[in-house]
Amino acid sequence: MKLKRLVILVLFMSGLFLPAAMSIQRFPKPEFESGYVEPVTQFPLPRGEFLIWMDVAVLLLTISLASWLVIKKRSRLGVFWLSLFSLAYFGFYRQGCVCSIGAIQNVTLALFSGNFTIPLAVLFFFLIPLIFTLLFGRTFCAAVCPFGAIQDLVAFKPMQIGAWLNAFLGMIPYLYLGLAVLFAATTTDFIICRYDPFVGIFRLNGSFGMFIFAGVLLLAGVFIARPYCRFLCPYGVLLNWMSRFSWKHMTITPAECVQCRLCENICPYDAIDFPQTKKDPASHRKQINRVILLGLLVPVLVLAGVWTGSQIHRTLAGVNSKVRLVRLLQTEPMLKDKDELPEITAFRSSGVPQEQLVSEVDGIEKDFLKGSRIFGGFIGLVFGLTLSGLFRTPYRTDYVTNRATCLSCSRCVDYCPVIKK
Amino acid sequence: MILNKFLRLMSIISGTFSIVLCILIIINFVQLKRTDPLNTPALTYLQEQLSKDPGNTALQQEIRQVDLLARKAFFTSQWQIRSGAYLLAVSIFLLVVCLKSLELTTPKIPSIIGTGQTDSLRRRRTERKWVVIAGMLLVVISLTLAWFTHRMLTSTPAEVTSLVNQGSAKNTVNGKSAATSSAISSPADSAGSTRDATSSQPDASDAPPAQNEIRTNFTGFRGPGGNGVAFQKNIPVSWDGVSGKNVKWKTEIPLPGYNSPIIWKDKIFLSGARENQRAAYCFDANSGKLLWTADLSKIPGSPAQTPKVTAETGLAAPTMTTDGHRVFVIFANGDLAALDFEGKTVWTKNLGVPKNHYGHSSSLIMFRDLLIIQYDQNGSAKVMALAGKTGDKAWETARNVKISWASPIIVNTGNRNELILAAEPDVISYDPATGKELWKLDCISGEVGPSVTYANGMVFSINEYSKLAAIKLGPAVTLAWENNEYLSDVPSPVAFNDFVIVVTSYGTVVCYDAVSGKQQWLKELEKSVYSSPMIADGKIFIMDKQGMMHILQADKTLAIAGESSLGEGSVCTPAFGDGRIYIRGNKHLFCIGK
Repeated sequence: MKLKRLVILVLFMSGLFLPAAMSIQRFPKPEFESGYVEPVTQFPLPRGEFLIWMDVAVLLLTISLASWLVIKKRSRLGVFWLSLFSLAYFGFYRQGCVCSIGAIQNVTLALFSGNFTIPLAVLFFFLIPLIFTLLFGRTFCAAVCPFGAIQDLVAFKPMQIGAWLNAFLGMIPYLYLGLAVLFAATTTDFIICRYDPFVGIFRLNGSFGMFIFAGVLLLAGVFIARPYCRFLCPYGVLLNWMSRFSWKHMTITPAECVQCRLCENICPYDAIDFPQTKKDPASHRKQINRVILLGLLVPVLVLAGVWTGSQIHRTLAGVNSKVRLVRLLQTEPMLKDKDELPEITAFRSSGVPQEQLVSEVDGIEKDFLKGSRIFGGFIGLVFGLTLSGLFRTPYRTDYVTNRATCLSCSRCVDYCPVIKK
Repeated sequence: MILNKFLRLMSIISGTFSIVLCILIIINFVQLKRTDPLNTPALTYLQEQLSKDPGNTALQQEIRQVDLLARKAFFTSQWQIRSGAYLLAVSIFLLVVCLKSLELTTPKIPSIIGTGQTDSLRRRRTERKWVVIAGMLLVVISLTLAWFTHRMLTSTPAEVTSLVNQGSAKNTVNGKSAATSSAISSPADSAGSTRDATSSQPDASDAPPAQNEIRTNFTGFRGPGGNGVAFQKNIPVSWDGVSGKNVKWKTEIPLPGYNSPIIWKDKIFLSGARENQRAAYCFDANSGKLLWTADLSKIPGSPAQTPKVTAETGLAAPTMTTDGHRVFVIFANGDLAALDFEGKTVWTKNLGVPKNHYGHSSSLIMFRDLLIIQYDQNGSAKVMALAGKTGDKAWETARNVKISWASPIIVNTGNRNELILAAEPDVISYDPATGKELWKLDCISGEVGPSVTYANGMVFSINEYSKLAAIKLGPAVTLAWENNEYLSDVPSPVAFNDFVIVVTSYGTVVCYDAVSGKQQWLKELEKSVYSSPMIADGKIFIMDKQGMMHILQADKTLAIAGESSLGEGSVCTPAFGDGRIYIRGNKHLFCIGK
């Protein structure tokens, strides 16, 4: 009886599966034996409000601690360990974002675009290091910035590069800052973020090209300490300006310099100014002429910058995707032949009329003309002021840190034999 | 001291390891970038060999092995880069720790060189010089870039506006001409045919059918324009082929074939073929009587050898078509014939035996007075149009695609008629009047069997192991959405209103929202299906291979309207007349109706 039931059950089950068994596919689906399981699409959640403010609190704490270690404790070791913490927290944990360097663009966009409201935390990230630099010098660079920390970590054989190279490369950050502001103000791009060399390392993910760029920078950083900070960082320009007027800046010696010269070749950033007791050999009259010349030179350079900016504004506008799109159409009036270009396909699928795009681009180009003139003028002013500064002959008897370029790393402090009583 | 030695040794080891690893990763990355595992020369060669000898199972096995090896090598390289990167990170970390520890444990002795009196004035002079050089360099670079930009950009944005307007004007002119020609055909004129004064017709009696004639008849595979939507009404939903319930008549078809019936007024046409026999048949729509048989076994130029085809495709897979004056038939050996409604041959020709390892199956379609033939064979795919009256070539367009078994559709997309074909790798649209390519989209792969379908500005293509692609037409042709969950290798999809129906050959019916691609409903028929679904009278008709017609409401919610058995298997797509369905079974032609 049981057997009969079993047979019926088997026949019934076979009947159930028969249609499926007969429904053969034309080609059988391949059997994947790797055990691969299709991953479920994941969407990252926005960072919680509390965590955002925790980042601001950590920034405030680390920069305060850094300032205390640099100014009060004069501890290179303390600065070193704190920079490791910052690298771990702001670099690998926070994956390099939000960062004060990139915040320049957010602030610019908020100033120039009515549609963008800057998050308060980002504004704090932009302002806090500037305020602290105005008070205590570039302690942010010393131990808080993860970009600086990762470069500082590999600066094993720093060499002092020639004055000419320092002067030449030292102009790049101004250019970078100007371009970053221009592109952010015209809502074109956030180039600081796009070409951030270290974010790929922090996120363990990035394009091959950016990894190579980061690798080259770090490799160069073994011999030329902190190349990004010194010759690229746009935020460094702002910190440089603030630091010049800092209330209490780190000093090499805690008391009176004894001219032991132990510190003179220690600074890997060429940020120690040597004693200068020689007087300018130029006659008084010549010096007055020079001042007049410089007084004229600065506005001339600014005007030259404005003119150059107006000449190059269409080149710079080419970075804007909408401008680029119109130019694609412009270079070839036979629009249909451009159908295969993804930019044109995307534009056409948007349903925006071409006339509207062209009129929008017209506005963008006008913005670029205005922006490029300001940018050119700014660069002209930077060159003018830099040249004026280089004509001055400072008088000093001691070894002192250069407030503008000193990154407050405190390396020199360890070599100073003077003890404050 | 020992610690220092150890740290130094570790630094050397980890440093050397890092450098070697770094080089290996870069080499591996470059190699990986150059590799395309799906198109290795060995694989391409073997595939070419297989296309010449499709039945060679040893070669197929070898291809699978080579393909597997290529894929394995590719993924192994990826794994090596990933693992290498982690190893590199660890070794660099170790190197940095060792070097930093060495630095901390070995105080740097400051070197005091010279007198300590550096010449600041000289230094400043150098700096000034290089700042000036930097400035000049910057100006030179800026002006050079500006010069190149100005040279490249010949016009200002305002001038571009005029260019674009010219382009728009040009399009408008084209649009007008298209509109003029399609005024002939209303927006829903899928076949784009007309009795228009502007079309060059020699005489009114030979004019192509009007739109309403195309709709009231059933002139080709999947109805008007081949789009899967019929306009007939009062379609029966219940019948039984065995008991004869609602079966008006059934007539045996002398020769086998997988083509579907077509209808012109009271005549039904289909074709059949065996190895050395090819024929077209005409049946009386009211009685089922075989009115005539046109023996097309020995037309001039017909090849002596019949091509090898698979049993599933056969020698008479393409469906016939008609221009209202003649019927047109094509067979797997490339024989093409035009017959009048009395069965007399008007003209014949052989297009050359198609290089097709399953057998040619693309159905014929008419556009006005042009007979359009999709001839996607191995190595020389093409689409052509012949004058229906004479068989003279009107146009021919080469297609850079692989073999396909799909059929063309002709639809009016708003302001123009488009002939749309699918074959790996593209869905391509042509002007059916000239054969000029209008657009194409790389969105289909494999051995394409299903034809595309169109509704409301969207084209849908599908193929097994590829994807269901929703193509949005407009100024730009874009992929609106895609889905690869349920794919078909034989039945074509059908789009209607705002949804699209996919029927897989293993019997799953899925309805998607045409705009979003969201699945609306799914039904398992649990039977194989080769026939393409048709929409008629507000219902979807799906014939399974066993002859069961599954009738569902053509709606975004699943509702079953009926199920009726033919009493014999069928793989053909039904044709519709008012109050009737004509179905080709494996042996008989059925007329379903009261």
